[in-house]
Amino acid sequence: MTVDSFRFLPGSIAAYYKNMTVQREDPVPFTPLGKPLDQCRFALVTTAGIYNKGKEPPFDTEREKREPMWGDPSFRRIPKDVSQEEIGACHLHTNNRDVLLDVNILLPVQRFLELESEGVIGSLAPTSYSFMGYQPDTTAWRQQYGPEAAVLMKDEAVDAVLLTPS
Amino acid sequence: MSTVLVTLMPFWSERLGVPRTVGVEFPYGHLLGQPGDRDTQMGVIRAALKLLEEATGPGEVRELDYVWPQEIDEAKRDWQPPEPSPIIKMMIDQRRSQRQGEG
Repeated sequence: MTVDSFRFLPGSIAAYYKNMTVQREDPVPFTPLGKPLDQCRFALVTTAGIYNKGKEPPFDTEREKREPMWGDPSFRRIPKDVSQEEIGACHLHTNNRDVLLDVNILLPVQRFLELESEGVIGSLAPTSYSFMGYQPDTTAWRQQYGPEAAVLMKDEAVDAVLLTPS
Repeated sequence: MSTVLVTLMPFWSERLGVPRTVGVEFPYGHLLGQPGDRDTQMGVIRAALKLLEEATGPGEVRELDYVWPQEIDEAKRDWQPPEPSPIIKMMIDQRRSQRQGEG
């Protein structure tokens, strides 16, 4: 099957994306998996704009409303034992209804805990990470928040990461 | 750290250069399927783990065969926010101002 990347987009936005020029990573980075899956510790990283209610603040969507060309570049930490009721969502570019019903459609914490129990993976790291997907300027991601999250993952001995942009 | 990306837009992976990509034809905000659909969620994850294990070099893209169960027009509406995002609202306002200026 060939995936149509534009199938669910309005025509005007699809046309805009198709004509956008982007800078390709060269060379494309690649880190081989250094050990079998059942010995790997995983972290999950999403750009769903979700957060752990009552533990960390939501993303700064008020500033985005004032400055539509700005997106909050910071990240939030989601613990592996988070419950569905603790998940908040404030992405302004998608409907948050379904992720508030089931976080696993964007950050599959429960599915990875099941894979851990089955022995398919070594473990899910104590912390996963959520960014805000709307980023007209990714400089702060590249220079500050991406490296910060990578250091936190290294501190928790993460071997591999599932990335789920939204 | 090794990474694997699940995306609705493998178009971008090919252009930007991504270590490993699994593509699914799902609407925005639903990378692993519908809420409560454990089987699809797990199926996509297992495909990502398989690619993580098997890829021998950068840039491999594997597209999965899942078919989104909603009717297309309904799915196109359903993922969108209840009110236009700030950037879309700004563009609508700008277009409206332009038309008023032309009028």
